[in-house]
Amino acid sequence: MRISVDPEVCEAHGQCSIVDMDLFPLDDDGYSAVGPDREVPEGEEDAAKLGVDACPVRALRILS
Amino acid sequence: MTVPRTDSVDLTTPAASADPFAVFRALRESDPVHWSKAHRAWLITRYDDVSAAFQNKAFSNDRVRPVLERKRQAGAESAATGVLGLMTGWMVVNDPPVHTRLRKLAAGAFKGQRIAAMDAMITGIVDAHLDAFVRGSGPQDLISEVAYPLPATVIATMLGAPPEDRDRFREWSDELALVAFGTGGAARADRHERALRGLREMESYFHTLIEKRRTEPGEDMLSALMAEEGDDRLTDDELVGMCALLLFAGHETTTNSIANAVLALLRHPDQLDRLRRDPALIGPAVEELLRFDGPIKVLNRWVVAETEVRGRTIRPGERVHLVLASANRDPEKFAGPDTLDLGRSPNPHVAFGKGIHACIGAQLARMETRIAVARIVERLPGLALAEEPAWKDVLASRSMEKLVVTHT
Repeated sequence: MRISVDPEVCEAHGQCSIVDMDLFPLDDDGYSAVGPDREVPEGEEDAAKLGVDACPVRALRILS
Repeated sequence: MTVPRTDSVDLTTPAASADPFAVFRALRESDPVHWSKAHRAWLITRYDDVSAAFQNKAFSNDRVRPVLERKRQAGAESAATGVLGLMTGWMVVNDPPVHTRLRKLAAGAFKGQRIAAMDAMITGIVDAHLDAFVRGSGPQDLISEVAYPLPATVIATMLGAPPEDRDRFREWSDELALVAFGTGGAARADRHERALRGLREMESYFHTLIEKRRTEPGEDMLSALMAEEGDDRLTDDELVGMCALLLFAGHETTTNSIANAVLALLRHPDQLDRLRRDPALIGPAVEELLRFDGPIKVLNRWVVAETEVRGRTIRPGERVHLVLASANRDPEKFAGPDTLDLGRSPNPHVAFGKGIHACIGAQLARMETRIAVARIVERLPGLALAEEPAWKDVLASRSMEKLVVTHT
């Protein structure tokens, strides 16, 4: 599974990072540092889905 | 209603506590960065300004330490400084790098999957409280019977404390809230002394619990908090502080989330019907209920560098109040902000704050509120308000004295 963030949409709510700060790191200003294409380690797909769903502005998505 | 610039808004008057949204609307429109003499603080009320303030490094979370130092300089080593001493270690009142380290060490315990696994445990606790409520007839207080005991029981269970100790968790939480949220009138005079007595008992209780987990680790949250992260771990004193913070931050807020949500549904029967017809709506419904009338009105920040917000110069040593409950009703951000729409999406409310300090317990609070509201709606048909609720005259939280309802 791969995930991505749209930096134009991210508003730094930080909700993804609460779900899992390793899968969903933030930069110093609180914006998502997931980047355009980040691999989810095997076995952490459910956590990745929870984190993507936690975004209140739908800035995160599952690429594959 | 308009607020002249010279006027000073007090958010703790009975009128403002009963309907803060009218005051917030006036402030957003006529003086969105308002100096309040009553609070000796700036009131920031527009969504964009509140949002930006969460990222503004001129606004510090290190706001208990200055108060503690002032009291110590005045030679007032007392019960008050004891309480404040414990609180200065909390991540919520620290900036990076202290905050970063604590947050990282706490994060594992709050991971989404760990919280999701608590679904059945929380549902069981909710149902146990509702069983007693359903058996009762006539007007009953949904707060004292359900919304208030629930979160303390969940926290006690999460930490692995035996069921017979749960009442003590509620008492400790109340004492902590007295200091951190503040109250007026007679309770103010001895609040620190009362809190300190409770706190000493709580500290020794948590130390004992930590010792026990060290020899018998479990699946509980305390065991997770004790785990190493990289080559670092929380000290015993930090663990005690973390347990106290978890209880303090997770109790009254969750009580009010549930109670305010139920009140909003009772005041909007069309939306209550909508939720009854479509229980799967509970996820977005809770987000909307948090936006519409969430548990926190105001978060504080301490100003450490000169900064400007909407043309107003804010100086070091001053305080700012970020009015979350106002930001969540800002028409610039939310269409029809005073309309409760359980299907609202997207819903970027700031009921849990934003950025690096965003509530670490947000997923847990969401789950507790979702389960409680869903079960209340399902198990209490004919739920109706039995009397007009009275609101507590407090600045930080949006809190009713009682929520007296009947059911059939």
